[in-house]
Amino acid sequence: MKTTLPVLTGIGSVTPYGPLAGLIPTESLQPSAITAWTTAELRRAFLVEPFRPASIVPGLKTRRLDRLSAWAVVAASLALRDAGIDLEHVDRSRVAVFCATGFGCVELTEAFYHSAATYGWAGTDPITFPETLSNAPASHVALFHDLRGPNVTVSSKSFAAESALLQAASLMRHGQADLAIVLAGDTLTQAIYEWYESAKMLSPACFSSDPVSSASGFIPSEGVVAMVLEPSGRPAAHSYAALGVGRWAAGGDACAGARQLLGGDRPDFIFCAGNGAPCTPSSLTCSPSDFVGEGATIIPAQPVALGMEESGALLHLLLALSQRPDPGQALLLGTSAHGGYAALRLEIF
Amino acid sequence: MIDAQKTIVVTGIGVISPYGAGLSRLQAGMLAGQCCLSPATELYPGFQGTVAQVGALPPLQDGRHYSRSDRLAMMAAGEAVADLAGSCNDFRESGIVMASTVAGLTEIDPEITRGAADWYRRGGLSRAATFPVSRVAASVGESLGIQGPSCAVSVACASGSTALVLAANMLLDEAAPMVLAGGSDALCPFTLSGFNSLQALDAEACRPFDQNRKGLNLGEGAAVLVLETLAHARLRGADILAVLRGWAMTNDASHPTAPQKDGIGLGTCIQRALSMAECSIEEIGYVNAHGTGTPLNDIAETHAYERAFQGRSRSIPVSSTKSYFGHCLGAAGAIEAAITIMAMRAGVLLPTLRLTDPIESPQIDWLRGEARRQPLPVAMSVSAGFGGSNVALVFEEYRA
Repeated sequence: MKTTLPVLTGIGSVTPYGPLAGLIPTESLQPSAITAWTTAELRRAFLVEPFRPASIVPGLKTRRLDRLSAWAVVAASLALRDAGIDLEHVDRSRVAVFCATGFGCVELTEAFYHSAATYGWAGTDPITFPETLSNAPASHVALFHDLRGPNVTVSSKSFAAESALLQAASLMRHGQADLAIVLAGDTLTQAIYEWYESAKMLSPACFSSDPVSSASGFIPSEGVVAMVLEPSGRPAAHSYAALGVGRWAAGGDACAGARQLLGGDRPDFIFCAGNGAPCTPSSLTCSPSDFVGEGATIIPAQPVALGMEESGALLHLLLALSQRPDPGQALLLGTSAHGGYAALRLEIF
Repeated sequence: MIDAQKTIVVTGIGVISPYGAGLSRLQAGMLAGQCCLSPATELYPGFQGTVAQVGALPPLQDGRHYSRSDRLAMMAAGEAVADLAGSCNDFRESGIVMASTVAGLTEIDPEITRGAADWYRRGGLSRAATFPVSRVAASVGESLGIQGPSCAVSVACASGSTALVLAANMLLDEAAPMVLAGGSDALCPFTLSGFNSLQALDAEACRPFDQNRKGLNLGEGAAVLVLETLAHARLRGADILAVLRGWAMTNDASHPTAPQKDGIGLGTCIQRALSMAECSIEEIGYVNAHGTGTPLNDIAETHAYERAFQGRSRSIPVSSTKSYFGHCLGAAGAIEAAITIMAMRAGVLLPTLRLTDPIESPQIDWLRGEARRQPLPVAMSVSAGFGGSNVALVFEEYRA
């Protein structure tokens, strides 16, 4: 393997598939009924089953953390484990943590608002406040693993995860980090779910036990995916893919942007990463077919990842890699009902 | 020989501050030593403290609901690009990196927790749509018709300067012809209450780096800087305001809220920024400090400067401009970058207000009293935030 591109060597995830290191099962999931809060009628979503983080990551204390922070530390730890990295032999001051999230620590933000509603703004909880900040998950990853390099949390309408992946690779390319842990995720709360519902963004599958169909709307989802990026050269336990050039844009033609990025090359695979509702119909599958070569494989976006509106791209990528595509060139193509696109070239090993 | 493709320059600055709209108002107010901090009690029942507020914002006509953070950002961005018209054919492909910690929290009512669906039905739906931090960047892009890469940054109080770092990297990657980068945060009960609950606020006007400091004051505002490569700026004949010569980001990884007492993380950050800038410790003429006025931050920061500038032949001039208009959170780093550039161009070292009994440190020249007039070819702006993040930016005056 001869490449100077950042290589994806470790994956960890806390998703509706559970907390896992490496690739995940490829069978499609069905949404589950929401029981975390009272609903008058059936409401469904792709939910992470409760688990004890310390059972996955010994020594991890999460009692005061937002679920997003807890999941971020678990996912990052699993990714490091999957990559076979012994941090004792790494210059931790040059390890970056780059996190993408759409809503941040919304669970504790709601708890803080609840304390304000109950006790007034003068009676809010000092322990909760710092944990409401969007950068809390990334900082807890740094704190737990003593990672002292750049620590950045970003959000980007529809393309937060893609932008985090690209910008983390950029840090490495410009010598500002030797290794990066990229995370992307969100949690689902009652307020978020009801916002989607009030805005009429949800799929009919949220309200019935029917199998997920291609009807308009999406099914909310939650989880965190972490990926370890390393420079090529270290004999790694896994080398899933090398990251090539990429771009994302708030507007413009996804097809034209991707075509320009490819520069005439024809990828063997297109990994579709749809972001935002409605999930279908859209350019998710019709755009890629415009420029892939004959015989190319289009791996469509999966509903479980579509439900993480801004931060789903890492889960899309993980689901695509979990199908164990043959070695070749791939394009991760993110499109959104809100406009814009993200495109990232990958070399699959 | 500089590489114009790899040299990042600042070609536009827009600031909305408690001094009003525009960098010129900020400059006039600060050079006059005017303090914008004042007592406030109306921000929420029971609050008694000192803040700095931007006045009422002009009405918008487009019918959409924007948060106050969105509005501040849009206004600052408008000013930053005011001189671009006609000189930039690829403006539409520009990138946007906007920092915020508050974003649409200003629009959410605690009543949402008593029944979100009801609150949405009563008009909260469009207000809640402003909640995601990404909305700040998207609002700027939509208001200016920009379609390039758009990104919001949330790294607590280091957000604004982090936005500038990410923008600079995007330019090195040729991801956009220019990038509008900055930060915007509005005052709101959520953050005031949060900092108050942590007992981090000084009820009176803050006194950064003073031995009798008691805490910070919150302010609000926005700053947007136009960054591009020197090559692109020259091509379009832009007025170059400064060179962003070096930058670095580190994390303390020591505590969720408190800075590392010995300042190692921030000191390392400063050293890395100097290294990237290929700049000696002697060259830095001024440091615009993070300087919140909290007991823990200011002593940690002092240790960081002592560490980073150890061996310097003269003491390093340092001040905190948060003493003029408080801590603008996610906007602070961008506003302070703008102030640092303004100080370089005006040839003035701004003092910390109300600094009467500074922390003892022979290595640091605590600027206080009158503003000091002197050439300032190279200066640094430093930020830090909850979660342990540190950012250092090195600016240099542009010589054609």
